[in-house]
Amino acid sequence: MYRVELEDFEGPLDLLLLLINRREVDIFDIPIAQITNEYLAYVRLMESINLDGVADYIYFAALLISIKARMLLPQPEPDSEEEDLDPRQQLVNQLLEYIRYKDAAETLNQQLEERSRLFTRGKASIPPEVEAPEKDVLVKTTLFGLMSALCRVLEDAPDDELMTIKSQQYSIEDQSEHIRRILFSEKQITFVDLVRGQTRSFIVVMFLAILEMAYGHEICILNACDGNAFLIERDKSANV
Amino acid sequence: MSDMNQETSNGEVSLEMVLEALTFAAETPVRIEQICSIYAEVANSGALPSEEAVEETVDLLNASFEQQRRALRIQYWAGGLRMATTATVAPFLETFFRRERARRLTRPLMETLAIIAYKQPSTRLEVDAVRGVDSGYAIRKLLSLDLVSITGRADAPGRPLLYATTDRFLEEFGLKNLDALPNLRQAEELLGDTNFDQERLSLLMSDGLDQNGQNVANTSSDDQEAT
Repeated sequence: MYRVELEDFEGPLDLLLLLINRREVDIFDIPIAQITNEYLAYVRLMESINLDGVADYIYFAALLISIKARMLLPQPEPDSEEEDLDPRQQLVNQLLEYIRYKDAAETLNQQLEERSRLFTRGKASIPPEVEAPEKDVLVKTTLFGLMSALCRVLEDAPDDELMTIKSQQYSIEDQSEHIRRILFSEKQITFVDLVRGQTRSFIVVMFLAILEMAYGHEICILNACDGNAFLIERDKSANV
Repeated sequence: MSDMNQETSNGEVSLEMVLEALTFAAETPVRIEQICSIYAEVANSGALPSEEAVEETVDLLNASFEQQRRALRIQYWAGGLRMATTATVAPFLETFFRRERARRLTRPLMETLAIIAYKQPSTRLEVDAVRGVDSGYAIRKLLSLDLVSITGRADAPGRPLLYATTDRFLEEFGLKNLDALPNLRQAEELLGDTNFDQERLSLLMSDGLDQNGQNVANTSSDDQEAT
């Protein structure tokens, strides 16, 4: 069973912040219906390709739905002195708290970098295996970026033939081979071109193959200027 | 204090020399009390130098290093003193050790570490609550890197383990002690900070795709779509 490692990627709160930021709305006045729909679209997609870590997203999906439901209910008469709590308050508080620690993590990270430029005698400090600069270089987009690219392509893809149960048609190995052949002649190719006219299962397995190859330093994933597409090309550092 | 340093002229070893030697030779930060007691024990002046005297000597020594354009400084990390090279010579050492310049922990590790650092002692549940994801893996990794340690159990249902940062954390991050941690900023401040919004927020969320990384706080909240 192949698993996509989510360890260095974003979590549900990052996704929410991203959706809020993208809509350019005030964090204190989140348009909950829209955000919930967009959030759920991502979660469904994650489920469909079986990304590890979806469980973490379910809690916030449930929270969003319950907030949405509460906001649709008629507001009770405002209890004289008692502050009627906005159903979104808890979520907003959590997002704000998270932002603070993200900032702190960033500050600490700078501190670590500055400190690591000062050398002392004795053992090297943090062992190299936790340094992960290659991942940064390789995947120049985000999980959410990749997901929205996949999502867009899947929308246009024809459905797989109904009810023909066969053994798995595509394997990651086959698809990797396919990519290698293409990148042998082409310098780079967009994801959209790579899967044009193909079925959903072809696309999904192709997507996993790309992640796997990027992880193995065979290819680079680059953002195209158009926000929803991405390019892949051979990793120049690899001698494949 | 100054008379201790001047004793060099009559063959006596000064506190400055002892400080320089100990911080050079030791492979961990040397506590000031330790320097005091060693000095008093070995130098037969018998007088125990005060901790202030040691701190003052550190400043003098660093000033003279700087004046002589030396590549070493004594740093105050994790409650102790340690000799380290200056940032200016870092490129040469990095080349020598063939090390990547940017050294960093993964984002989940940094977030988890930050939460534990500011909330310590803290349970896993508290960390999970802030991050919205399971932090078990990150905590185990931080434990194995000796950046956090288990300090006990919380007086809460299930008696969960309590985590705190280690001296190693202080040293790796160049902090004298926990009070030296940069202040945790208020979210309102961060949202109102244009730098944060445009650069950091988009960076933190690594949203390379979002071309409209506008200031969230400045955006008018006239969104009609809110139900």
